Amino acid sequence: MPPIVEFSSVGRDYGSKTAVDAIDLQLHEGELFALLGHNGAGKTTAVKMLVGLLQPGTGSIRIGGYDVVESTREAVSLLGYVPDQPYLYDKLSGYEFLEFIAEIYGFDAKVIKELIGREIDRFGLAEFVHDLCESYSHGMKQRTVFAAAMLHNPRLLVIDEPMVGLDPQSIRIVKDLLREEVDKGLCVFMSTHTLTAAEEIADRIGVMRKGQLLYVGSVDELRKSHAGEDQSLESLYLKLTNST
Amino acid sequence: MSLPSDSSAYLPSHTVSEDREAQIFWRIRCRIIRSQLRKIFESARLRTTLVALLSLVFWLGLFLLFYEAFRFVKQQVGGAGAAYHAETFKLVFHLFFASLNVMLVFSSGIILYGSLFRSPETKLLLSLPVRDERIVLYKFQEAVGFSCWGFFLLASPMMLAYGLVISAPWYYYALLLPMILAFVYIPCSLGALACLLLVRKAPKIKMAIVAAAALASVLFATRAVWKTIRDPQADLFGETWFQQTLQRFQFAQQEWLPSSWLSNGLLEAGQGVTESTGGIDMPMVQSCLYLALLISNALLGHLLVVNAGKRWMRKGYSSLECSPRGRRSIQPARVDRWLRAALFAFPTPVKLLLIKDWRLLRRDPAQWSQFLIFFGLLGLYFLNMDQFSNQENNISSITWVNMVSFLNLAVVGLILSTFTTRFIFPMISLEGQRFWILGLLPVRRETILWSKFVFAALGSWIPCSLLILASDLMLQIDRLVVVVHQLTCLLLCLGLASIAVGLGAMMPDFREPSPSKIAAGFGGTLNLVLSALYILLIVPFTALPCHLYLIAGRGAIGGAILDPEQWRYWLFYGLIVAMVIAAVAVILPLTWGLRAFRQLEME
Repeated sequence: MPPIVEFSSVGRDYGSKTAVDAIDLQLHEGELFALLGHNGAGKTTAVKMLVGLLQPGTGSIRIGGYDVVESTREAVSLLGYVPDQPYLYDKLSGYEFLEFIAEIYGFDAKVIKELIGREIDRFGLAEFVHDLCESYSHGMKQRTVFAAAMLHNPRLLVIDEPMVGLDPQSIRIVKDLLREEVDKGLCVFMSTHTLTAAEEIADRIGVMRKGQLLYVGSVDELRKSHAGEDQSLESLYLKLTNST
Repeated sequence: MSLPSDSSAYLPSHTVSEDREAQIFWRIRCRIIRSQLRKIFESARLRTTLVALLSLVFWLGLFLLFYEAFRFVKQQVGGAGAAYHAETFKLVFHLFFASLNVMLVFSSGIILYGSLFRSPETKLLLSLPVRDERIVLYKFQEAVGFSCWGFFLLASPMMLAYGLVISAPWYYYALLLPMILAFVYIPCSLGALACLLLVRKAPKIKMAIVAAAALASVLFATRAVWKTIRDPQADLFGETWFQQTLQRFQFAQQEWLPSSWLSNGLLEAGQGVTESTGGIDMPMVQSCLYLALLISNALLGHLLVVNAGKRWMRKGYSSLECSPRGRRSIQPARVDRWLRAALFAFPTPVKLLLIKDWRLLRRDPAQWSQFLIFFGLLGLYFLNMDQFSNQENNISSITWVNMVSFLNLAVVGLILSTFTTRFIFPMISLEGQRFWILGLLPVRRETILWSKFVFAALGSWIPCSLLILASDLMLQIDRLVVVVHQLTCLLLCLGLASIAVGLGAMMPDFREPSPSKIAAGFGGTLNLVLSALYILLIVPFTALPCHLYLIAGRGAIGGAILDPEQWRYWLFYGLIVAMVIAAVAVILPLTWGLRAFRQLEME
């Protein structure tokens, strides 16, 4: 099966500082991948390159076979993106925002209504979806952005810090939803600091440090490679990232 | 709700047509505008009414000014068709539109840069399957709208006044709007192209290039104006002076400038049918040709912006995001040490809070640069006011000098009131998320408010008193008036600072992080209105008795009617009344503000 996401020697500099250093990575449908790393490790740069916000300085990224730089619209139409700082139009209601997103993806009016109804149910938006977004709390905004990202049945979901600002119940909803959608064939690329969430739901993890991918594999494989040591993901992660 | 997963109708498409994409974006813009208008009418009626009324007053004032000026010029040079008529109005129109041409290039470029490359909305749009050129166009339309409303406010009264003065035919008015719209689009397109080009090709030195271009434009314009004003002119408004002035501003009349097409088109349309055209309405044809020229160039500009957006937008955004951002290392500044020493008389907590507010102001150029620009312009105006000579017994001259000096005082006060509304009123609200730091400090809450008051009063009094002094020295006015002005200035600064700090404490908005939005709310509008009322009360109470005292005993009328001894008392009473008003304006808002601030609960 061809990969849905393919990073080939992808690099990006910020002036003299290397943010991402020639990473290679392949992700497949039905896989949840969690990218871990300290602040400044290069996770957000990798995410931004994947969704087309930044262009790689070297190498290429392909989504569903489309090069993100050469065929941006085709590549981007296959993904949904949940950024760490959700942006909604203050002067639109959640419903109007979702409608706008669905129209951009080219759905017709009848289908848009059905898709929005599905997301309202799924993310529990009914109580506030017709209010102006300016009145939303961070959690409400995050749920609406999740709904917008899932609205068009993407093949790849890219999430930057998914659990920030969510209450425990919403975190549970998101975790269950992600696992459920991944089991149906969705590929999730998640950048996070929350090790417990990664340990609980990720099929594979990647650990970045100073722009390089130090480790790619499952948590179990990581444990096996460090047999005899403290087996918590936290200690294994710290060992990896702090080793010289 | 579950949907059939195998249906192709539920799969996204990246083949949304360009027209459909445009429709979607227009609809979203209309929805946002409608929602904004609804909110404005529901929750900000006072502000909206005030803004609308003030804009109307401003527009009418401009219209009358232009109308009278054009009537004067027409009297001097004759009506349409007269020898000097075309040349005179050509000079006025060309200069006016050429200046606005340059300003529109800069304003649209800067606005587009902010809304396209520094806005979180762009991040959202770039992650959606939207054409890059559509994002640019969407933001460009915003930039055109924001850049040209000022143009409409200035140009519409001028154009209407000209039409009425020369009794222009109907098609002059019909062509006004399309001509202005087509014209505005051209410099805005140039600004947008420059913005995209700089971000794509020179992201590291973009600011330096813009600053150099702006400086060059200002220097060029200043040189032309300076030469016109300062060169020896034997015969002001005479033929030689007129020819020299035309020559100096020849650069604004170049045929390739869009501003020249607009000026020529409007001047042609204003002429109406003349006998020499033999019944064929040549002016109308000519003006329509100029309109066609403007529209075709506007369309070319549109096409270029779309293509530049397609090619440079995403690459430019990426380069800009990846530009290295230098860390700003802060060293203890000498100016802070001087301030600490100068504030020796204040208790330590007040001193520390004052230094904190001073550092925040000093390190935020967005705040002090506006202050500097407005007060700098006022300073330049005051320093150039050397046309009045002191004529001891000429009541007319004394009246003018005195009136101008008090108007200057009122203007300084009014500008200061906009600054206290914009910068002082939101100070308490801006503590917002960090209010707990101040709330938990081992200082009384009153100290915090007092420190804001001292900061505002002291910070505004020093520049304002210097400005007033500059105005008084240039006008060579009586020493007594200088003293009265300085006292009035002090009263203004104390009162305005107290109103802003008191109202800011009574109506804080801890949720809003933007000071401009806090200032634009109900509290800010109320602050502005009360400040203006305060100035309008204080200035006449000091100005009128002072003026009458000065003219008393001078000239035929002053000597016969007014007794200087009697008006000395009135001057004293006027000052007492002004001080009482100032005391009320200082004590009441601060007392109410302190009470509200004491009861404020930390969230």
